Amino acid sequence: MKSSWKPYLLTLIVLLILFPFIFMILLSLSSSWRFPDVLPGYFGFKNWVTILGSEAGLLQSFIISVVISLAVGIVSTFSGFLISRAVFYHKNKRILTLFAYFPYVLAPVVFGACLSYFFLKIGLFGSVTGVIVAQFLVAFPYALIFFGSFWNKKIRSYEDLVATLGGNSRQTFFKVLLPLAKSMLLICFFQTFLISWFEYGLTSIIGVGKVQTLTIKVFLFIKEANYYYGALSCCLLIFPPVVLLYFNKRYVFKNLV
Amino acid sequence: MKNKGSILGIVFFVLIGVVPFFAAFLYALGYSFGVLGILNDGFTTRFWEQVFISGEFLKSFGYSAVIALVSLALSIGGALWVTLKFRRELDKKFLSFMMYLPLAIPGVVAGFFMVQLFSKGGFFARIAFQLGWIEKTSQFPDLVNDSLAFGIIVTFITMLIPFFTLLFLNVYKNERIEELSILAQSLGANANQVTRRVFLPIILKKTGVLIALYFIFLLGAYEVPLILGQESPQMLSVLIIRETRQFDLSKISEGYVVAVIYTIVVSITAILLFLPKRKTAYEI
Repeated sequence: MKSSWKPYLLTLIVLLILFPFIFMILLSLSSSWRFPDVLPGYFGFKNWVTILGSEAGLLQSFIISVVISLAVGIVSTFSGFLISRAVFYHKNKRILTLFAYFPYVLAPVVFGACLSYFFLKIGLFGSVTGVIVAQFLVAFPYALIFFGSFWNKKIRSYEDLVATLGGNSRQTFFKVLLPLAKSMLLICFFQTFLISWFEYGLTSIIGVGKVQTLTIKVFLFIKEANYYYGALSCCLLIFPPVVLLYFNKRYVFKNLV
Repeated sequence: MKNKGSILGIVFFVLIGVVPFFAAFLYALGYSFGVLGILNDGFTTRFWEQVFISGEFLKSFGYSAVIALVSLALSIGGALWVTLKFRRELDKKFLSFMMYLPLAIPGVVAGFFMVQLFSKGGFFARIAFQLGWIEKTSQFPDLVNDSLAFGIIVTFITMLIPFFTLLFLNVYKNERIEELSILAQSLGANANQVTRRVFLPIILKKTGVLIALYFIFLLGAYEVPLILGQESPQMLSVLIIRETRQFDLSKISEGYVVAVIYTIVVSITAILLFLPKRKTAYEI
């Protein structure tokens, strides 16, 4: 391929990438878009004004999704960070890490289906707390594995150095480990936030339709064939990850290979 | 203090990371053998026999594996091509961000978007009508909920190509493939040899475990096949949820049989992938 074709191909790739975003925004602003019309009968902010009010409770779903994802992100990140230290400094760390991989590779929806009995028994079925706990069980192994690369010989040497200089474990944690892990903690929080934000299957099983996050709403609108509201929910679902990616894209692949 | 903290850490790890998985697995196992469950009255292998006699699980497993393999192969091929051809251009800030944008699209949205594009009343059907290629919606080919899983595969590919491209670009930089390629060329290798002997082996070796991991993720994918899949055969997760959540209580045990087999398969794969001693390059 001659290099002169590259700008055209790149433009095409950029247009293909932007197409779903533009299409979703346009669809969310449309109504009365019947076959075979290529353009919608109505184009304006009617759907947004209606839906962000009380009719479909979309604003409420957005808030529930934010609360759940923030809770899952924060708890998974900090517990993953603290517990991974014990796991990755353990003499049998390979076996222990392997145990963390089991729930990590299992489809969350299947995990949720097999766990639902226990959630029912402890009264967490169909509640926001139940969904947070269930998503935490999926996000925690990710966070734990994520911090595996942090607990290396260099960090261990820093800890030993602080101990030699008379620092206690509290000082080691707050003055050395936390500052060193700051960027990784941030990335892990974003990733676990997104795991929770994108989650549908597990939420639908443990939430049993009572906890209506944005992903659940999208499905409901698809079932109702209400594509305009569905597109609007999709816009709300995509917006936070785009913002997070903009600020953190350079870190996404940092610990992957 | 140090030991106390470590023991506490391991205890919490077992409670959060290990116990729920094994509790879920044992529950599914008990249900599949009739030990647990409302209508079950004791140990039986009846449900396991029924699952294998009906053949639905094997069909679903094969169907899921083929979809995952085809999607993965095409995505990796596409991503390798983009990496080879556009690696310098994708270094620019704007284009780099553009490649990251698709990562913000979850499976639910991707599935919904594909329905809007490829269904019989969708965007492309409208264009086909305006161009005079079709006169009614039924003449438009089945591209979603179809037997060849076209919609599912296209969705997976569009989600995976940007991810693998960014991954390969990352490896390309970290492994200094540019410098190695120049060295190979100065030693007399042509462009084709550089690609086959330097670029491909390094990239595929460094990302091999991650590619295998993505195969498992695709095998258990739920949202996309739920929206774009057909009634039968269904992908594994969709089949498991359909069987375990159905109103016919006598059939639920068969759903748990499939869940148990699926869990065993992915767990064995995880052991094969992560137990052999590897360097940190494979740790995610």
